Amino acid sequence: MEGIEIALLGAALAVGFAGSGSAIGIGIVGQSAAGLISEDPDKFGQTLLLQALPGTQGIYGLLTGFLIMQNVGVIGDETVTITTSQGYAFLMASLPIAIAGLSSGIYQGRVLSSTINLIAKRPEEMGKGIVYAVMVETYAVFALLATVLILFGIDL
Amino acid sequence: MPIDDTVYAYSVARIKAIETRLLDQGQFDRMINASSSEEAFKVLTESGYAGAAAELTDIHNFESILAAELKDTFDMVMKIGPYPELIGMLALRYDIHNLKVLFKAKFLGIKSDLLIPVGTHELDKLEHAVNEGDYRYLQEKLRRAVGKITEEFLLNRDPQVIDLNLDRILYEQMIYAARENNSSFLEDLFIRQVDLINLKTLIRVKRMGLTRDFLKTALLPHGSIRVDRLTIMIDEPLESLISMLAISDYAELVSEGVREWLDKGSASLLEKLSDDYITNHLKQGRRVTFGIEPLVGYLWAKEIEIKNIRIVLVGKINKLPAEAIRERIRNV
Repeated sequence: MEGIEIALLGAALAVGFAGSGSAIGIGIVGQSAAGLISEDPDKFGQTLLLQALPGTQGIYGLLTGFLIMQNVGVIGDETVTITTSQGYAFLMASLPIAIAGLSSGIYQGRVLSSTINLIAKRPEEMGKGIVYAVMVETYAVFALLATVLILFGIDL
Repeated sequence: MPIDDTVYAYSVARIKAIETRLLDQGQFDRMINASSSEEAFKVLTESGYAGAAAELTDIHNFESILAAELKDTFDMVMKIGPYPELIGMLALRYDIHNLKVLFKAKFLGIKSDLLIPVGTHELDKLEHAVNEGDYRYLQEKLRRAVGKITEEFLLNRDPQVIDLNLDRILYEQMIYAARENNSSFLEDLFIRQVDLINLKTLIRVKRMGLTRDFLKTALLPHGSIRVDRLTIMIDEPLESLISMLAISDYAELVSEGVREWLDKGSASLLEKLSDDYITNHLKQGRRVTFGIEPLVGYLWAKEIEIKNIRIVLVGKINKLPAEAIRERIRNV
């Protein structure tokens, strides 16, 4: 593989894995939400907000993908030549958000499923449930931070 | 247990929402303090029972509402949960109950309309099986137990073979199915139920002055308290049973329940404490987000609710004082 292909593999991993984390997480919350709504349709608004929360990992992954694509000249007007070692650097940069995005998306979804069960009984305590989910979010943010730092550290 | 436990997400959330509609202590207090049975019944018409309760013309027929509610509850949980066969295991209790009723009607001529339309077999199939002696529609294990009952009863005309054999097959089946499905939660629950039944059997047999051999056949296997440890107790005073179980999970319930039984000759406190014990045990599992625990917990809570409604209404119809009803009522 040439440098550009290795870099694009990184972009694909970031978007694919972080997106999968979000998709699974949102899927789990969605099942819980449907269970609650079938008995108590008035809580739709609350559950929709909760369901959207594990979507951030996918956004972080997509952001990383765009940054890599822009840097290697796949999108935008610039033409850049990427060496093999630069290509590997982009691949490495994608790994933090790819890995942490996958796992944090799933686990955030699980926490939010519990939050759905919580608001079934005590809708007024939704904020506390969100705080627990945000704890999981922290690690997706850390991963994105590491990814971005590596990306900007690559000499082109 | 499934590898992907999130298959329970939908049903658990739905159960959480439904759970909020269970009758609470306040509603039971209002029923108990009501001035008449009609007044007590009115609480039900304002609750989840409203639809069926409004159609009831004679309060003495309240059992039909309770039976319908129980059936709806089991049907609903089976429908929304991912593994209906596991819930079916809990419904097997009612198959066994119905078989007992039918066999007693057939062999002893006791006419009873207490069939409960909950269970894995349809009522008319059970009726057909018992009355015609044609067991092909029954589950295999059940078929064997039922055949054995007929044989043994014809041999020595002892009605106790009905209860003993059916209880035995029930718990054997439930524990076997729990193991087969790798559900340690259900297995643990059934083992505790076996223990509680065995403790009651021991005390009852002792008070009736029956023999050790009889006790041995009456105790159910698979409990956590070994059958031989319990059979020894037949020659000991009940106090030593209390001390034997002093460091077990059952310490409190045995010491309180047995003492009351000795003092007043009534098993009702021990029955109540046994139910409360299972309720407490299941309450811990009801916090699980992905698992069968909340489903089982809800079914149990509903069974307790129905039991409580029956206690209150029967008490009210018979004009028992509020205190006497309150003593019998299970914790919710």
